[in-house]
Amino acid sequence: MKLKYSLFTRRQFLNGLFGGWLGALMVSFLYPVIKFVFPPTREPDQVILPFLDFKDMKPNSVKVFSWGSKPGFVKKNKNGSYWAFVAVCTHLDCNVTYIPEQRKFFCACHDGWYDENGTNIGGPPPRPLRRLILIIEGEDLIIKREGVK
Amino acid sequence: MNLLGKKKRAQSWFDERFGISGIVKFLREKKIPQHKHSLWYYTGSAIMLFFVIQVITGFMLVFYYNPTLAEANKSVGRIMTEIPMGWIIRSIHSWSSSFMIAFVFIHLLSIWITKAYRKPRELTWMSGVFLLCVTLAFGFTGYLLPWDDLSLSATKVGTDIPRSIPIVGVWVTKLLRGGEDVTGDTLTRFFGFHVCILPVFIFILLAVHVYLIQKQGMSLPLAVESKKEKIQELPFWPNFVYRESVVWLILLGILFTVAIFLPPSLDKSADLMAPAPEGIRPEWYFLFLFQALKIFPAKILFINGDTFIVILILVEFLLFFFLPFLDNKPAEMKGKFITFLAYVTIVYAVVMTVWSLL
Amino acid sequence: MMWKMKRLLVFSLLIFLLFSFFLLKLNFAQEVMEEEQNKITQAEENAEKIVPSPKDIKESIGIYVFVVWMWIAIIVLIYILRLKIKEVDRLFYIRFFSAKKK
Repeated sequence: MKLKYSLFTRRQFLNGLFGGWLGALMVSFLYPVIKFVFPPTREPDQVILPFLDFKDMKPNSVKVFSWGSKPGFVKKNKNGSYWAFVAVCTHLDCNVTYIPEQRKFFCACHDGWYDENGTNIGGPPPRPLRRLILIIEGEDLIIKREGVK
Repeated sequence: MNLLGKKKRAQSWFDERFGISGIVKFLREKKIPQHKHSLWYYTGSAIMLFFVIQVITGFMLVFYYNPTLAEANKSVGRIMTEIPMGWIIRSIHSWSSSFMIAFVFIHLLSIWITKAYRKPRELTWMSGVFLLCVTLAFGFTGYLLPWDDLSLSATKVGTDIPRSIPIVGVWVTKLLRGGEDVTGDTLTRFFGFHVCILPVFIFILLAVHVYLIQKQGMSLPLAVESKKEKIQELPFWPNFVYRESVVWLILLGILFTVAIFLPPSLDKSADLMAPAPEGIRPEWYFLFLFQALKIFPAKILFINGDTFIVILILVEFLLFFFLPFLDNKPAEMKGKFITFLAYVTIVYAVVMTVWSLL
Repeated sequence: MMWKMKRLLVFSLLIFLLFSFFLLKLNFAQEVMEEEQNKITQAEENAEKIVPSPKDIKESIGIYVFVVWMWIAIIVLIYILRLKIKEVDRLFYIRFFSAKKK
């Protein structure tokens, strides 16, 4: 079907074209701004720590290490095995503490409780504490993100 | 059709509360005269463009900059190497400042030569002179912030100049430096000037300046005004704004191209105890002053050379500030002489600048 | 027509002036760079000067593409603006809006 008259006036067409190009140009200016303002903050794939520092830990205690910009806990269990957690509450990002007497992790911000396995047992936390993979290789303690080879 | 009706309703709702229609009506009726000196009308909006770019890139840089002795240079280095696009953003901020000041000079000289400060625009000129001072202060304080050898030396020299003013000079220097010497406190202080104090001043002055221009309309050059013909005028909206947009687009293109291909580098962190490096220079817009200080003898007529030149600069500045009142007979001999002085100033500044580069 | 030519001349002169002004600075920058190349041993000792440049080949290609794209967009926009200027000027000269008001 051929229309007898154009649906747009010349002015509307020009305005649309102008706005489109201007918008495209602005978007290409915006791209570096967004890249700058939101820099990529990647958490580390793995952290290697000297095992010597953790050898003498008492069972049922934790030691802090830095997991990127977050704190991490290396926990020595009663049976002498080591676990690693990201020591950040799953509720609203507060750092948690370990209370050895009660064998619980505690988040002071909103009264969140986790048991010694990191499972959320009381208060607002929706998920268990995040576990990290911990491997002891000779002198090194290697802590990895899950899913990293 | 229904949508259009809703848009109208929304518009009138806001208009009842804000009263925008008055401003819209004003802009619709605002006219820009067209004559052979109309080109200079575009310089003001060019300054505005660069100012807006300065504000935006400044906001971005302040996200990562640390104004402390230990961290300033490192944080600028981090912006340039680690943060994505950081070096481009810094380069745009640096180049845009140069462009802005260049256009401030062009704007000022064009007004001087076309005598746009004639009655009733004296206050517009004076607010403009203050704006010039604030703009140069922005440039001066911003130059220290990367905290490398060059910026430290330039700041030492620059903050020492006021010391030569009799009586108050010592205190001005102390105020600028935050103590006897340039230290980490100076850096923090300059940062405060650059991001807090000067912006407040520039926004107030800009509001006054722009308001006065809107209130009084565009000035006509003497030669055009005296012709008594009916002058062709164009509406500000949209005819003139479209023309301005063309200028803006070209300037934006030039700015970004230069900023991308000639980014400023960063020297190692300044050492407060190290001797001044060779070939220190302030930014190009202070070169004429720098050279004048260099060539002046140590003693003139029993006065200290520095004191002499600083007093000279102050007197010149006062004359400059009160120019609209001095130039009260623009069409006569005196007015012509003042216009001639503008050209002398241009030649002087260019010669001094080129000389200092040699 | 003469008037237009004149205007074009003034515009191009202004742009040239602007550019020559910055070319001066560019020359100066190059001189400094040459001086620095002479002192390259010293520079290597310090090796702390940061000269910014694109991080990798991807970024530098991206930058060239951006610059080319930006200038194309600017030229197209200016072309459209010229058409729009012609339109609004014509409307103004035939007193389109003031006639409508009455």
